[in-house]
Amino acid sequence: MSSTKIQVRGQPLPMVLTRNHRMINSVVCGVQNKRHHYVSNVLRTIDPPLGSVPTRTDDSQFLRGDGNGRFGRFGGKFVPETLISPLKYLEDEFNFVLSDHEFQEELTTALRDYVGRETPLYFAGRLTEHYKNISQTTGGGPEIYLKREDLSHCGSHKINNALAQAMIARRLGCSRVVAATGAGQHGVATAAACAKLSLECTVFMGSTDIEKQSSNVLSMKLLGAQVKSVEGTFKDASSEAIRNWVGNLETTYYLSGTVVGPHPSPLMVREFQSVIGKETRRQANQLWGGKPDVLVACIGSGSNALGLFHEFVGDEDVRLVGVEAAGLGLDSGKHSATLAVGDVGVYHGSMSYLLQDDQGQILEPHSVGVGLEYPGVGPEISFLKETGRAEFYTATDQEAIQACMLLSRLEGIIPALEASHALAFLDKLVPTLRDGTKVVVNCSGRGDKDLDILIQRGMPSSLR
Amino acid sequence: MATTGTASTFRPSIPASSRLTHLRSPPSKVPNFTPPPPSRSRSFSVSCTIAKDPTFLMAEAEEKTKAAGSDPTLWKRPDSFGRFGKFGGKYVPETLMHALSELETAFYSLATDDDFQRELAGILKDYVGRESPLYFAERLTEHYRGENGQGPLIYLKREDLNHTGAHKINNAVAQALLAKRLGKKRIIAETGAGQHGVATATVCARFGLECIIYMGAQDMERQALNVFRMRLLGAEVRGVHSGTATLKDATSEAIRDWVTNVETTHYILGSVAGPHPYPMMVRDFHAVIGKETRRQAMEKWGGKPDVLVACVGGGSNAMGLFHEFVDDAEVRMIGVEAAGFGLDSGKHAATLTKGDVGVLHGAMSYLLQDDDGQIIEPHSISAGLDYPGVGPEHSFLKDMGRAEYYSVTDEEALEAFKRVSRLEGIIPALETSHALAHLEKLCPTLPDGARVVLNFSGRGDKDVQTAIKYLEV
Repeated sequence: MSSTKIQVRGQPLPMVLTRNHRMINSVVCGVQNKRHHYVSNVLRTIDPPLGSVPTRTDDSQFLRGDGNGRFGRFGGKFVPETLISPLKYLEDEFNFVLSDHEFQEELTTALRDYVGRETPLYFAGRLTEHYKNISQTTGGGPEIYLKREDLSHCGSHKINNALAQAMIARRLGCSRVVAATGAGQHGVATAAACAKLSLECTVFMGSTDIEKQSSNVLSMKLLGAQVKSVEGTFKDASSEAIRNWVGNLETTYYLSGTVVGPHPSPLMVREFQSVIGKETRRQANQLWGGKPDVLVACIGSGSNALGLFHEFVGDEDVRLVGVEAAGLGLDSGKHSATLAVGDVGVYHGSMSYLLQDDQGQILEPHSVGVGLEYPGVGPEISFLKETGRAEFYTATDQEAIQACMLLSRLEGIIPALEASHALAFLDKLVPTLRDGTKVVVNCSGRGDKDLDILIQRGMPSSLR
Repeated sequence: MATTGTASTFRPSIPASSRLTHLRSPPSKVPNFTPPPPSRSRSFSVSCTIAKDPTFLMAEAEEKTKAAGSDPTLWKRPDSFGRFGKFGGKYVPETLMHALSELETAFYSLATDDDFQRELAGILKDYVGRESPLYFAERLTEHYRGENGQGPLIYLKREDLNHTGAHKINNAVAQALLAKRLGKKRIIAETGAGQHGVATATVCARFGLECIIYMGAQDMERQALNVFRMRLLGAEVRGVHSGTATLKDATSEAIRDWVTNVETTHYILGSVAGPHPYPMMVRDFHAVIGKETRRQAMEKWGGKPDVLVACVGGGSNAMGLFHEFVDDAEVRMIGVEAAGFGLDSGKHAATLTKGDVGVLHGAMSYLLQDDDGQIIEPHSISAGLDYPGVGPEHSFLKDMGRAEYYSVTDEEALEAFKRVSRLEGIIPALETSHALAHLEKLCPTLPDGARVVLNFSGRGDKDVQTAIKYLEV
């Protein structure tokens, strides 16, 4: 099953009557979009603000994209004609709510009272000690902090975005929401948000994923969502969900779970997840009067990573480290290490790195962390790689499982297998760091959903 | 004199049972922790008094309570013997008396120890994720609005958002910290469905303590996932095959272990039951729930809650919410127990509604017992409410009329489970669903604008498999 790699020839569109917002003609282009040349050369400097909290430096504005869907050469809007208007509509609404006081207040209250924000920045004392003992350093060793997105309602960072977008769906007058989910976390978060906001919800999920994450499927149904099985995995469910949306544009809102897809999805999802990074900056300042030195996050498509990174992209002294899934090993052909071994192409509406063969056919990804099983990656992540702003590594299934067990035993926190990839990388990262380096790992979800997988894999004899 | 349940392994002063012959003499070593000069009577005098003349004591207690009358501020909760009126107390073998009073002394001293309080507050904030929100449930409120547009306002205290998904961790964390202060390296606990076991295993991992969880063999089969979870967290799970191989037997086994290993071991009791000082300690460690609620209510509407609702199994989440407001006479308190298949079916766990007073696991309280004083096996679809006893303080609040207790069947709880999932997008634990189910009967009786705070004691992920079997989804 191939992707929707549709190239649309450039042609201006008729004026679409939208709200009172400014109306912009969007010109659909192929790979060469003139716009990005215009913005990417602009560097803006903003005076440091008053007050003790150091805010982000905007020296590298271009690293955040041009605000019109392009991140360097990545991103864009590779979609059929029918979707151009709805996407524009969505973009206009998104820009409106960004500065709408009422929306922001409602969202902040919901994030606080419904989701349980802000999530703690937790000093993992025993994990820090563990690495200190291994390296036998005389100093304190690096300090490891966990950003506890696992404590959010529904158990992962997915709800930050699902809630905000469900609110937009309601504003747009949609009665129905469709979404695609891999591990089920986005599906559950969407179902929960839709229940709260009285929206009908249909979630598409790959048949193999449904088997692996059955508890999430049951949760979605209990929350009132319809779960539709699609032959294959997340990428197939995604395609089906988009197809369903296209067929029901009048009433339906497509709630994307991650930073892929045509503009404005990557931008929107990143903005809604960026609360993670904003809180982290404030908390780091409270805890140690400075910024983190290294940020580590797992990368499936990149939503939790961008949520943490985005705030710090302009802070050159903050290292950004993403960890992909190497599955059974990069040579095995069974992995999801898109940035490590992928090539650039267009998939699901945007240009980015993806796992494709010589004929441009999408390769089937694999990871024990089901949420990382995506053959593509967000365009903004591809851009951060290309500019060298962020570094990307991989961790195998086995390493992730070990890391999951280690954190459970040392800190009493069972992380999701996805987040475990980020934790696994600490084994290689920490020995290279100086004493006192502050490492913040995005603990993007809790691992209750993965217990069945862990049971199947069996516990190694070294850990009881 | 009230009847004494014979199922208890504790009898005042006479360890005649053959099961207790393995008891060693009381420890002669003084533990490392030296408490400040106690302002209360020493342990041995307390045990002597209880053994010598319990009738006199109880009559005195009842008199004092009568004198205090209906003014809750004058009630001793508990008194120096660990009694709430005639309930509570310390019905334990000699070997445990010292450990219990050591625990009590430690608890009182740590209550005023700034370092301890600061450390605990930090852990509750960064590890557990407090404070938990007080969430206005808009769609639930709408559901209970009458045709005239009037109805109460429903707020949910979100203990489900805590690390591990329930209120249990508040107590587990504090007790583990306390155990560390006491120099104990070994922790034991009992568990029914596994929630308290998981919470205990969690904190033991966090604090690097050895952890042994006693669980009924039957429960282990039914809750294989929780057993795996506990082992993943580094705990040892020991199956108990005696009796009916369920919670009450696991509790007895844990108590036996504690009696044997009292110098090195701390017993983390999961609820406000058991011998003094546990009901008081566990309540005080959960009281953060009520304290936060008071502050949040003031912030949100500049007043206090009108009604508090919570499910009652052993009673810990309810006491955690209620305790702060017991002295506020205008705040109504409602506890909801499990009526299982119905109060007349004989298969329920409605201790306060259908039980009689007796002694179980070290405390005098209401319990489900037959005419021979044997414990009746309780039933509820929710394992956490499946306890044949109840905390002594609840028995006291019921007798004093300060709190009201109702019950809800399995079916009603399942309906509420589904309803709240659909209306608010929050899947409640089946235990919590009992409290939520009671809103159906409660809300129509409340005045317009009455503010109801319901303790959303846990999330329902663990119950999804069970519920799906019964619900048509």
